[in-house]
Amino acid sequence: MPDETIIAVLDCLIPGDATGWPAAGQHGLVPRLHELLELLSADGPAQLQTVLSHLPEDFLTLPTDQQTISLQTVESTAPDAFDTVLKACYSAYYTDPGIRRIIEQKTGYEARPPQPLGYEMEPFDESLLEPVRARGPIWRKVP
Amino acid sequence: MVQSPDIVIVGAGATGLSFAWRLAKQRPDLKILVLERGGHIDQRQGPSLSDDWELALQREFHANPNIRRNSADYPVDETATPIKPAFFNAVGGSTIRWGAHFPRFRPSDFKVHSLDGVAADWPVSYKTLVPYMDINDSIMGVSGLAGDPGNPPRAERPHPPLGSCAGSLRLAKAANRLGWHWWPADAAINSTDAEPGRDGCNNCGPCGMGCPRHARASADIAYLARAQEAGVTLSTHNVVRKIITKGGAATGVETINSDGRTEEISCKELVLAGNAISTNILLTTMSNWENPLLGKGLMLHPTAIVTGFFAEDLKSYSGPFATSIISQEFYETDPKRKFLRGFQLQALRGQGPLSTALGGYGQRLNWGGGHASAFANAFGKSMSLTVTCEDLPEPENRIEVDTKRQDQFGMPIAKMCYRLGANTRQIRDYGVERASEWLRTAGAERLTVTPLSVQAGFHIMGTATMGSEARSSVTGHDGRVHGIDNLTVIDASVFVTASPVNPTSTLQALALRAADLMGRRLAQT
Repeated sequence: MPDETIIAVLDCLIPGDATGWPAAGQHGLVPRLHELLELLSADGPAQLQTVLSHLPEDFLTLPTDQQTISLQTVESTAPDAFDTVLKACYSAYYTDPGIRRIIEQKTGYEARPPQPLGYEMEPFDESLLEPVRARGPIWRKVP
Repeated sequence: MVQSPDIVIVGAGATGLSFAWRLAKQRPDLKILVLERGGHIDQRQGPSLSDDWELALQREFHANPNIRRNSADYPVDETATPIKPAFFNAVGGSTIRWGAHFPRFRPSDFKVHSLDGVAADWPVSYKTLVPYMDINDSIMGVSGLAGDPGNPPRAERPHPPLGSCAGSLRLAKAANRLGWHWWPADAAINSTDAEPGRDGCNNCGPCGMGCPRHARASADIAYLARAQEAGVTLSTHNVVRKIITKGGAATGVETINSDGRTEEISCKELVLAGNAISTNILLTTMSNWENPLLGKGLMLHPTAIVTGFFAEDLKSYSGPFATSIISQEFYETDPKRKFLRGFQLQALRGQGPLSTALGGYGQRLNWGGGHASAFANAFGKSMSLTVTCEDLPEPENRIEVDTKRQDQFGMPIAKMCYRLGANTRQIRDYGVERASEWLRTAGAERLTVTPLSVQAGFHIMGTATMGSEARSSVTGHDGRVHGIDNLTVIDASVFVTASPVNPTSTLQALALRAADLMGRRLAQT
C-alpha cells in the first residue's frame, strides 16, 4: 500500500486544526509510524496491514468525512489492529520534535525531557491544614 | 557467588534487600546470599533524561510483565482477572516502577475481624510494627508531615513534605470547604539534598520510570549498598525455579542463570521475597508439602480513577505524579454506609503530552475532528483522584499454579483468578461519587470516570496468609511456613487484610521484624 494511503489515514486520526496544530500525515510522520510500529508491538507492521486491508479501495479519493466513517468501521471490525495503529500514531505525533515545539509555544511546556532540569514547585503551605488539625483525630482506636 | 550460604533470599526487592540488611546487621556471622532473577537498572541514566521518555512506559517500563517482556519477566495468565498483574523484575523489584506513595496501614487494619466481623485479625499489631516503620523511613528516605489526624501520632519524617502545585492547592481548599480530611502524601522521595548520594526531588514528574537523582527511593538505592557493606552477597540474573526439600525442611534451591546453566544451592534458611505470584509458584514446586489455603484470598487494590479538567492551566505535568495530597475521610467502616471498610482518595497529577493523548490514568483522547482541541483542553489542566478500595479476602479470588504449563525458565505458570466482590463494588461506586464531588468542588468543569483501572495490579496481597493457627493460615506471625520451619515468606502474600492504602511501608516493616525474629531464633540454635 503506498504511503499516500497511510498519510491519509494519519490525517484522519489526527487532522490538526486551524489554530496551528498540523495533521499527522501531512506533518511527515509516516517513517516514524513504521519505526514505532516495530518498536512498540510485536506484530505492529502486520496490524497496520490489517487496518489498510479493511479500507475501501477508493479510500484515497473519498471526502474526509467518508474516510472517517471508513476508519470507524475498521475500528469496530478490527479493534486490536486499529488500536495498535492509533497508539503508534499518537506516539509518533506527540514525541515528534516539531509537535513538541508547537506544544511549547501554546502551553509553555518546554520541549525537553523532564530531567535533568525538573520543574519549580512552591513549598507546601501548612496553614491550609488548620481546619483538618482543628477537627482532631479521625482514626479508629483498637483494643 | 558465596559458597554454602546460611541464608538464601529469593528476590532483591523491597523486602528481600531490607530483610538482608537487617539480618546481616544483627548477625554478621551469617553468610547471606540474595538471588535476583533480573539485573541492575541504572537509574542515573533513566528514560526521563531522553526525549522519547514517554515511549518507555509502553515498552521496557510498562507495569505489566506480559506486555513489557523484559528478559527476566515471566508470563502470568491474566485471562481470568479484570485487573492485570503489575510488578517489576530487577534489583529493586517493583520499587523500580512505583510512584513511591508511602502511607502506613492504620491500627484498625490489623483488627478487621474484631472491629468489623469479617476477614481475620493479623497476628501482628500496628504497635509492634511502628519501630520498624520508623527505621525503614529513615533508610528509604521519606518526606511528609507529622500531625496527621488521620493516623496515630508518629515520628517526624526525615524530610519535609514535597511541594504544592496549583492542582493540589485547589483540591486542598476544596477539601476544607467540604470539611473532609486531607493531608500531604507521605512519599519515599527525598524532598531535600540532606542525604549524601541522593539529591532532593526536582519535581520532574514521572517517578515510575526510575529517578536519575536518586531522590525517589527504591530498594536498590536505599538498601543494597548498606546490605553489601554488612556482608550480604547479591547474585543477579539467577532464577530460582525450585525449592528442594528433605524430611520436612527446605534444604536449598535449584536455580537457572542467564546462559541456561542450572545449579543447586544449599542453605540452612530459605526466605521468599518476591511477590505473591512467584511465591505461589515456588511453594508449589516443593514435594511433600501442601496447604489447601495456599493461593486463596487474593487481594488487590481495585482502583477507580476520576479525572477533573479545569479551565486554568495547572501545569499539572510537573511534580511527582502520585504524591501530592490524599484524603482518608472514608477510610474506616461507617455504619451509615452500605459497605464495610473503606477507601483512600489519592490525587494524581497530570502527565506528559503522549500519556495525556493515550489516556494515562483516564481515557484516551478521541481521534478525528476535535482531537487537537481535546488535547489543548486536557494537557496540563487535569488532576485525577484514585479511589483505592480495600479488598476483602475472598476464597474465589486466588492464584492458581498450573504445573502442566511451563514458562521459558521451565517453571509452572500462575493464573490470577479475580473478580470484584460485592462489598468492593459498593466501596468503589461510593468512592467515585465522593471523588467526583471533590473535583467539582475544586472547580473542575468536566469529569471522566474510569470505573476500574486495568493495568493496576500493583499490590498483590494475600494467598499465603499469616496467622496464629496452622489450620487457618499458611505462615506464622514471623512468615515461617507451617510445616517447614526453615522456610520464611516475607512478601505481601502473607498479608491478612489489604487496607485501602499502598502496602510497601507496612510490608518492609514486616520484613525487618522477620529478620530480627530469625536472627534471634538462629542465635538460640
